[in-house]
This record gives sequence, C-alpha cells and structure tokens, in this order.
Amino acid sequence: MSVADRIRDGDGTLAAVAGVAAVVLALLFAVSPFTVGLPGELSVFVEVGVLFGLYVILVLGLDLQYGHTGLVNFGHVVFFAVGAYTAAILAAQDSFAGTSLGYPWPLALVAGVLVAAVVGAVVGATSLRLRDDFLAIATLATAEIFHTVTVNFSGTFGGSTGIFGVPQPVAAVAGDFGKTMLATLVLFLGLAALTYAIVTRLTTAPYGRVLRAIRADELVTRSVGKSTFRYKMQAFVYGAALAGFAGGLFALYNGAVAPSFFTIQVTVTVWIGMLLGGASNHRAVIGGLAVIMGLRLFSRFANDLAPVTSGEFASLRLIVVGMILVLVIRYRPAGIWGDAEELGVDS
Amino acid sequence: MTLLDIVDLEKEFGGLLAVDDLSLSVDRGELVGVMGPNGAGKSTLFNCVSGVVEPTDGTVAFDGEDVTGEQPEVLARRGLVRTFQHTRQLGTMTVRENVRLAAPDQAGERTLPALTRSQGMQETERRVVERADELVEAFELDHLADEYASNLSGGQRKLLELARVLMLDPDLLLLDEPFAGVNPTLTNDIADRIRALNDEGMTVVVIEHELETLTALVDRLVVLTQGSVLVDGDPETVLEDERVVEAYLGE
Ligand SMILES: Nc1ncnc2c1ncn2[C@@H]1O[C@H](COP(=O)(O)OP(=O)(O)OP(=O)(O)O)[C@@H](O)[C@H]1O
Ligand SMILES: [Mg+2]
Repeated sequence: MSVADRIRDGDGTLAAVAGVAAVVLALLFAVSPFTVGLPGELSVFVEVGVLFGLYVILVLGLDLQYGHTGLVNFGHVVFFAVGAYTAAILAAQDSFAGTSLGYPWPLALVAGVLVAAVVGAVVGATSLRLRDDFLAIATLATAEIFHTVTVNFSGTFGGSTGIFGVPQPVAAVAGDFGKTMLATLVLFLGLAALTYAIVTRLTTAPYGRVLRAIRADELVTRSVGKSTFRYKMQAFVYGAALAGFAGGLFALYNGAVAPSFFTIQVTVTVWIGMLLGGASNHRAVIGGLAVIMGLRLFSRFANDLAPVTSGEFASLRLIVVGMILVLVIRYRPAGIWGDAEELGVDS
Repeated sequence: MTLLDIVDLEKEFGGLLAVDDLSLSVDRGELVGVMGPNGAGKSTLFNCVSGVVEPTDGTVAFDGEDVTGEQPEVLARRGLVRTFQHTRQLGTMTVRENVRLAAPDQAGERTLPALTRSQGMQETERRVVERADELVEAFELDHLADEYASNLSGGQRKLLELARVLMLDPDLLLLDEPFAGVNPTLTNDIADRIRALNDEGMTVVVIEHELETLTALVDRLVVLTQGSVLVDGDPETVLEDERVVEAYLGE
C-alpha cells in the first residue's frame, strides 16, 4: 500500500472517530440539564450549519455517483424529497393536510432511506443500461414528476401545504430553541462526518477503483472482468439512499415537509458545490459546498446593506454564483481542489 | 484439444459484411497469427469473440461451451481476455491502479468486505498489490507506476495494456495489433514476451498486418480477406501461397 493510500485511509478513520464523538456529544448535550440562549445573530449561522450537514450527505452521495462512477444525476433532490416525505408521512401525527400515520420516527427514518433506495433502483434499472445521457434526462424527469405528484396528490402528500406534525426528536429532548439548534448542528455534522468516513472507506478500497475505472472507460473495465452494470446500480442506489437519509433527517428536524423545500435549487447547489470543489475528491466536494453555502450566508447579510429588494438581490446572487462557476471552469476546470489528471480535464 | 471454436461466424454492419461465414479453431497452447489487409474484419472477429459486439450469425465456443454473444466481463472471468487495437487505457488512473484493477476475485471489490476491511480482503489486496508491482516492473513501467496512464507514450500504453491483461492470467489471450505504433526495439521485446507466455502454456492469438513481425513469431498463420479465411497454415506455406501474395500486392 502506497503512502497516499494509507493517508487517505487514515483520513476516513479519523472522520469516523470524530463523527461518533460528535453524535454522542450532541445526544448528551440534548439530554443534559444545560440551557443555552442562542443570540439572534448567531442563529442564522447555526441554521445554515444544520443544512450544511445535510447537504454534505447529499454531495457525498452525488460524488459517489458522478465523481467516481461518472453517472450524471440531475435529479438528486428527488431522493432527498422521497426520504423526507416517506419519513414525514409515516411519522407525522394529525397533520391537517396529507396523510399522517403516526409510526415511531426511527422506523420512519429507516423507511425513508429504503424507499429512496428503491426509487434509485427503479430509475437505475430503467436507464443505466442505455446511453449515458439517458440517466441525466431520466433523473431530471423523475424529480419533476415527483414534484408534480406531491403538489397534486394532496390526499397523500398534502399538496403545496405539505405535511405537518412530524415529530422532532431532538427538540423533544432538548426543550428550548437554542439548545435544540446547537444539538442538531453537532448531531448533523457528526452524521456527515460518519457518512464521509463510510464513503471514503468504500472508495479507497478496490471497490472505488472499479468505480473510477468505469468513469474512465467502461468497456476496458468490462473486458477485465468487472460487471460494470452492477457497480453502476450500486453506486446509484447508495447515492440515492444517502440522499433519502438526509431527507429523513430533514423532516425530523424541520417538523414539516412541503414541495417548496425540494426544488431544483437543491440539486443545483450540490452540483455546483461538487464541481466548484473538485469532483471525485470527497474532501474537495465538501469544501466546494462550504464555499457555495458560505456565499449564500454572506449574501444574506449583504442584502441588508444593499439598496435593492430581496428579489433583485436573489438574481444578483445567481449572477455572482454563475460568474464564479465560469471562472472556476475557465481556470480550474477540475475544481478548486480537484486533480485535473484524475478527472481527465485539460487545464 | 480445441480451446476456441468459431463456426460460420457472420457480422453485418448496415449492409456491410465485416465478417462473412468465418470458421476457425484454435487449440490449447497454440500461438496463432491473424493477418489481412485493412478492413479485412480482423478486429471485428475479435470483437465478436470477446463479446464486444454481438455476431449476426454463427457460434463461438470457448473451452467446449457455447459463448456466442456472452458479455465481455463474463468471458474475461472465464479466461478469455483481449486487448484493443487502439489502446484503451484508464487515463485518469495511475499505471499501478490500471494493473491492480484487473486482478480477478477481489473481495475488496464488494461493498461489505470493502467497508469491513476483513482479514481476507486485506490479504487478497496485498497479493494483488504484489502481483501488480511485479508485472509493472516486468514491463519496465516501474518508473511510471504513479503516473497517470494518459501521460504514457503509445509504446508504453501497449505495455501497460499487456501488463493489465496478464493480471487476469488468461487461458486465451487475444492481442489486437500489439506492435502498432511501437518502435522496432520494443516490438522485438513485446514479441519475446508473447513467445514466453506461450511457452508457459498460454494460448495466444495475435492480429498484425505487418508480415515480418508475425511470421517470425507464430506457429500458425491465418490470413483474412473480406471477412473470411483466405488461407490457414504454417507461416512458410502461407507466405508462399499465391492468393496471399495477390491479396497483399493488390492492397
Ligand atoms: N462498429 C462498426 N460499425 C460499422 N462498421 C464497422 C464497425 N466496425 C467495423 N466496421 C467495418 O467493418 C469492416 C472490418 O473492420 P475491422 O475493423 O474488423 O477491420 P480490420 O481487419 O481490423 O482492419 P484494420 O487493419 O484497419 O484494423 C470495415 O469495413 C469497417 O469499416
Ligand atoms: Mg483492426
């Protein structure tokens, strides 16, 4: 094993330890008698931090699919949404819109992961054998269809109102708002670190070698005896399951789900984060995500100072993000921390 | 004993018969050369045999079993491995990784052993690493082991491809123009390696359209024209055959 292999591996172990520690700490803190007052100015940071934890789980799944295996998934949000809706419908109690079944939340969370994986398997089975670009279209279409379904089948999904009354386990034990937010932040960052550890372990093993070989040249990979379709299915389903997990966590944190939480904006953010940081390098994609989400956070403050309406400001922000992306593609086509040779792009 | 048996093989591409009613069989332990002018159907023959394209008609049997239209990965695992005329390397992976990838039966290529890093998986990986390093060294690529394959020269790519397929320890090795774009010294070197592999018992079929290299190397020569076998015999006889002379002069 080369030195590089060992460092990469150690990295995963470190993240696993940190992840477990964070999860334990968060739970201990939540049940402890301590209270914290979260000042208003800080709460926006914590809120974005909580979302960041979930988005890290999303981007790691996408990096497994695209960064390693070369699968273009333009509908990542659908798996996030499926996980969230599944968890919400199963666990919610007495939601005034949609269906709420009132099952225990751990069951709902597991179901969210499984249903997202099944949706991933169905999409993968129907399009992974076809031409490469077909997956891009199929995933985009799936996301669109699911969005329409949630809006229109209000008996089940609650229409544009969504589903309320989803249990919030962290809030239930922590009590006050500040404490809940802090515990959730640490918990989600811990879970994100654990996800990083698992994904890293997988991709530094010979398993990851096969995935990268598929991205490089599928025919060569097949002609040395690897069943590439099976690997593509697995990578796709694992990514979907991770997104489903993030979705379930989101529902149980937010206490409600609605179509407006699951727009194409989610897919765009994780894609930009991944490309900005550097696909196929797990640390780089997280870095890229931090940049793009940091920018959004910064712009919230900037908006207060700028003499424009928030609508105008949102479009300005899009322009800035677009320009940053153009600059990165122009000068660092493999992303800020990406390796151009590993990605096969000319810089 | 017949290892590869091709009967009445046919492959049509939109009205063009690239392989036309071709029959050929290769015995275990043979070293066979396949030659023929451009467009004779040599690569298409390999593509049909190795499962890269599905033949329009005819059968391919490998080791006594009908494998017509079987997937390339299944054939590779059974011991039928091929290289490509236009070398295909995994450009975004290092030379080392290119070779390691090809090792068969790696526990670490399955999700659970990859995650648990079981004793068995680590043991296999150690052996894979060792064997890959041996091959990389044998093909004098060790100074490039950590280089991305896309940075290799044409000749080095041919060597890498050979190292990679040997990782599979095939029973039947199909080489599509392993000397193309390779300098004369390296050509001799590769020819020696092919002969050595054959001496150790590997059955090898080599495509080449340079006469000289091939006749010196193989025990048996098959000449294809327009998708079917023109002559099949030992190199001396084949080279004296009028039809061969004609086919080559007519080029
Ligand atoms: N995928 C394909 N689609 C259409 N036509 C093809 C395809 N592959 C090969 N052909 C055609 O089939 C014929 C035989 O091609 P093939 O590549 O097998 O020849 P070859 O003997 O390997 O020639 P060369 O010496 O140039 O490599 C050619 O006319 C070629 O254009
Ligand atoms: Mg050819």
